Formats: sequence, structure tokens, C-alpha cells
Amino acid sequence: MEPNDGQEPAPPADPTPEAEGTQPIGLGDPESLGQTAATERLERRVVSYWYVTDLVRSLVFAAILVVGADAYSTHGSGPAYVATAAWIAASLVVAAAVLTPPLAYGAWRFSVDDHLLSMRYGILFVEERRVPVPRMQHVDLVRGPIERMFGLATLVVFTAGNEGSAFRVPGLSRSRAEALRDRILRARGRDVV
Amino acid sequence: MSSEEPQPAAALPPVEARVVLAGHLHPAILLLRFLDGLRQSVFPAVLGLFADPMFLAVAGVVFLVQLGSGLVRYLTFYYVLTEDELRTREGVLHRQERRIPIDRIQDLGFESTLLRRFLGLAVVRVETASGQGVEAVLDSLARSEAENLREVLLGLRARRRTAVAGDVGAGAAAAPASLPLDPEWVVHRTDAGMLLLRGLTDLRIGAMLVAAFGAYEVADRLGMLTQLRGVGATFYDWLRGFPIAVAAGMLLLLVGGVLTVSVAFAAVGNLMAFHGFQLSLRANSLLCRFGLLTTRQKTLPRERVQRVRVEQTWLRRLLGVATVRADSAGSGRGVGEEAQGGFDVVVPLAPLPRIEDLLPAVLPVLPRSPVPLQRTSRLLVLRVFVRGCLQTAFVVSLVLPFAGPAAWFALLLLPFAWLIGQLYWQGLAYGLFDHHLYVRTGIVGSYQVLVPTSKVQAVSLRRGPLQRMLGLSELLVFVAGGPPTSIPDLPQKDAERLLLTLSARATAAAGREWHEHRVGFRPGAA
Repeated sequence: MEPNDGQEPAPPADPTPEAEGTQPIGLGDPESLGQTAATERLERRVVSYWYVTDLVRSLVFAAILVVGADAYSTHGSGPAYVATAAWIAASLVVAAAVLTPPLAYGAWRFSVDDHLLSMRYGILFVEERRVPVPRMQHVDLVRGPIERMFGLATLVVFTAGNEGSAFRVPGLSRSRAEALRDRILRARGRDVV
Repeated sequence: MSSEEPQPAAALPPVEARVVLAGHLHPAILLLRFLDGLRQSVFPAVLGLFADPMFLAVAGVVFLVQLGSGLVRYLTFYYVLTEDELRTREGVLHRQERRIPIDRIQDLGFESTLLRRFLGLAVVRVETASGQGVEAVLDSLARSEAENLREVLLGLRARRRTAVAGDVGAGAAAAPASLPLDPEWVVHRTDAGMLLLRGLTDLRIGAMLVAAFGAYEVADRLGMLTQLRGVGATFYDWLRGFPIAVAAGMLLLLVGGVLTVSVAFAAVGNLMAFHGFQLSLRANSLLCRFGLLTTRQKTLPRERVQRVRVEQTWLRRLLGVATVRADSAGSGRGVGEEAQGGFDVVVPLAPLPRIEDLLPAVLPVLPRSPVPLQRTSRLLVLRVFVRGCLQTAFVVSLVLPFAGPAAWFALLLLPFAWLIGQLYWQGLAYGLFDHHLYVRTGIVGSYQVLVPTSKVQAVSLRRGPLQRMLGLSELLVFVAGGPPTSIPDLPQKDAERLLLTLSARATAAAGREWHEHRVGFRPGAA
């Protein structure tokens, strides 16, 4: 099922020396420990994946909106401008679904080293997160049916706690996601005596 | 009974574990189950007497099932304390055995309702460090038996810890080498006057308004509104018979009376719930004892404290008093039926200087002397104001077609937006110190949060469009209990510095913890 386009992940524009992770955890200057900027990008084909899911979702939503408003203003006793408003809202939703995937792809950066998972994403609201590797409780790979068709996987990392304790990196190729997971597990295992 | 069953010798160490203590539930529990059964079957029984005799049978079945399950539980429940673990076993057909290693047991918590106290019983909750809080419940043991179990168990655990500390290394022993009988230091007692004040400053007015609105809705549904209006009208007519001053006075009395009753309820509730509140420190655990009718004894190991909050609502801020809460790992998580809202109140109410004195007992990492705080960017005021402007513009554009020029009155809100921004900025202060992060927020109240940096689980920055224009950023600090702690509107540079420092410290602390506890990570979860 996996479209083997042979596309390698774009090399990080600025490879950081810390990414090799030779520094033992708990030693050294804290400032230098956290200097890994998120530099890696997602797989390019995540844009098409997002197009498929977002467009389907927004079209369904828009259809419900328009049909509902139409029924309300023609068969019901609603005023005519309700239908117009529904049309405007529906087209806005669809336009957003068309516009966002490339922008989201352009904004997404992440990186994993032996100490930290860093990510930065978001178009309007930019989010920048750091998750210490030793704090991770477990690491999941999630592959939905449509994700599988695109040969994509999502890495989900859980820390202790209830709110905001899951951190996701979408749009990874399966092999890359597995490599990342193994890297995290190895980094954690190294600390276990 | 089944006490002499062969032990499943699965993964136990080859050394035969010596049984230290063993016992059953107290027989008086049968009386409690009997009463439970009666209570649960009252409703169907009443229905049966007055409506359909069928319900009488239901009542009988409910009563018998309740009594039967109580009896079975009493007959089969059995606990054993060996040198390594606490085991509980219960059930006939579906036999359940639970083993809790002593090292994982933090403490035993006791809870007694009025009836249990009268019978000399206590519910024993086995609290572990698993982050789940209560691991097992023994309902109920005789009070003396429970106390004895706790003493023996803590003594065993302390002996094991001192033995283990030898090979882990000197620096790793988190707790001071604790002896079987650790002394207990009283940190704080809340007197009745403070509890009364807590009740009096319990701001339930908002809740009352909501309740009144709900009652109005219900009355509307039931078609009682016209009747209510009739009553209102007659009341109004009756009131009009008096001079205006007398009428106003009577109305005020009425409102005052309702308020007094609600405040009195809150005061009595607080007095009962927190009666005789005492916070003490034993070895490295905080102990809370409180309650008038239902007495509670809770334990919180200090290393499990994820965050401490010192909270003042505006009324309490005026009076210079505050409450202290401690969020622990797993608090508010709701583990099965054991959801207790987490380990919460550490100090129900005390004057602020007193609280500042006792905080280091709750969070040992705190420095003794006051520390300098930092302010966030003044642009915060501007951001709140601009947001207020946008909201006002939205409201005006919505209302204008209907209300006409009257909509422009919404512009009067703008000075308030500025004022709120100003107050918000004044209330906001933070500081990152050697071992903890301090954040103070609040517009009219004051809410202080102390997060030990070693407990940080993840750190995040968030920037909205407006914040990006102004070069601001919100910092979110995640810990294992409760919602994240936020510092809104930091200058971008400070925010990035905090992000780097906090995540680096969290990584370092987590790494150290790993070495100390030698906890294995099971990759099978992935």
C-alpha cells in the first residue's frame, strides 16, 4: 500500500552537534543541554494526506450547513439571509481546508535527540514544545487507515499527568517513525542501570 | 478459612517471606452492611407499600444481595503483611489477590464516618507512589488494629530503606535514614476562628445565582411561572402599602437573610469538614488529620508534590488570609471509584505571613528568605486592551442592526478593558530560582503557584497572532498533576530562555531520578 516514492526526508538545514547526544544526562551546563532547535521537517506527502482528510471533513460539514440552512429558509419560516450566511460560512470552511495544509507543513519543525523532543508548529497560534526524553512514560506509533494509504505514521509521546500529557508528531514515514521511537527507547534504556 | 492455602510461588524471591501480621475485617462491618442494605431498600420498599407490591420484592432482593455480598466479603477477606509485601485476598468464585510491595507503600490513610467511629472502626487506604494514589481499601478494621498495622508496616519499610540505602550510595538517599518510629512534627493547626472565616469568605454568591437561574428554568418548564408572577404581584402590592423606606428595608432584609443563611451553611460545612485540622510532617511525608463527623487522615509524601498553590480570592486577599493546596501526581485523575479529587487542601485558611513560614515544610526546596521577582512585559496591558477593543467591535457590529445607536454604549467597556489589563499586569510576577518556579497571577484575587523544577514534565511556548505582533509569548509548564501552569505575555527572549532552562533542568532531574530509583522502562508499552 505504501507509495514508495523513495523520497528521503529533507536533510536538516542546520545540523546541530548536540543531536549526536554524547553528553550524559544530568551533567553540564543546563543552557547547553537545551540548545537543540527543532530543525527537521515532516514528510512532504503529509500535505496530500491533510488535504484528503481536511477536505472530506470540511466538505461534509459545509454540505450539512448549506442543506440545513436551505431547508430552514425555504421549507421552514426562516428569513432568507440565513441561507446566504450558511453559504458564506461553508465556503470559508472549505477555503480554510484548502489553505491550511501547505502552511501547516511549512510551519512544522521537530527534532529528537537523547535529551529532548522539540517541536514547533502552528499557523496562527505558534506552539513550541519541549519534552524531556527521560520524562516519557510511553511512546506510541499510530497509523490510521488513511495514514496507512499514504505510508505515514504519527509518533505519540506520553508524559505523566492528565492534561496535555500527549505530544504528537504527525506525518512521518513509517520507517522514520520507527527509527525515532527506537532512538527514544535507546536513549531511555541507556539511563537504566 | 483459606489462610493456609499454598502461596503461588511465581516470581517471589527464594527466601520464604515471614508473616508479620495477618487479620480479617472487623465483624462490626456486618452491621454497617446491614444498615446499608436497609438504606438502599427503603426507597423501593416505600414504592412497594404505596404503588405496586412488585417493588417490595425488589426491596427484598436489594437488601439480601447487599447483606449477602457484605457477608461474603467479610468471610473471605483476608490480609497478610509479610516482610516484603502486603497481600489482600477476597472473593469465592472470582478470587482476587493483590500484592503490594512494602517499598511501594507510602502510607496508610484512615477514614472514619461517624458510625464507624462509634463502632471503633477505620477504613484503611493503602497509598502507593504509583501515581494512582490509593491502591487498596480495607473496609474496615478496628481502629487499634489499623494503627498497629500502620506502625508495623512503616517500621518494616524504614528498616528496608536503610538497608537498601547502603548499596545505592550515600548521595542517593532521598529520605534521611528513618527509624521505625519517626517523630511527628506539627506544622500547622487551623483553629475554629479561621475555619469560621473560611466559611464566611466562601464566595457562594455565584453558585447561588446559578441555582436561582436553574430554579427559574424548572419553574418555567412546569408552568408555574404564572403562579409565581401572581405571587410576585401580590407581594409587590403588599409592599406598596408601606412607605418607600420601609419597603426597601424589608427587601434588603430579605436578601440579607438569604445571604446569611447561605453563608451560615458554608461556615457550618467548613467547620465540620475541617474541624481540628492539623498538618504535620513525619519523616518525609505530610500528614493531614481533620473532620468532625467523618474523620480523615491523609498522607502525602513530599516527593510526590508536583505543585503548591497559595490562593486568595478577593475577599480573602483583603483580609490577608489564604488557602494552600498541594497537587500530587494523580490528583484529580479519578482512578476507578477512588476519585477523591486528589490530595488537595494542605492549609484550609491561615494568615499569609504564617503560610510563608510553613511553605518550606511542604516544599523543602524553597529558600528561607524572600526572593526577588520579575515582571512580565508591560505590553500585556496593550494586548488585553486590544483584545477588549476587538471584542467590543464584535459586540457593536452584532447589536447595531437591532439596537441602533444604543449599541455604542458598549464603548463604555473600553476603559474597563484597560483597567483589567493594568490590574492583570500588576498582579503578574514570576521568578525562576534554584529549585522552583514561582508564578503569581490574579486581577482582584491573588494566586501564587510554586512548581519544583525537578517535577516539570514538559514545557511549551504559545504565541497568538496578536502576541506575535507585540513580540510576546505565553509559557506553559506541565507537571504530572492538574492543568499546566501558565505565564502569559513574557517578552519573546525571556520566554525562550525560560523554555530552554526549564526543559534542560527537567531533563537533568529526570535523569537523576532514573539513576536513583533504578526503575526499568518497559518498551512493551510502545
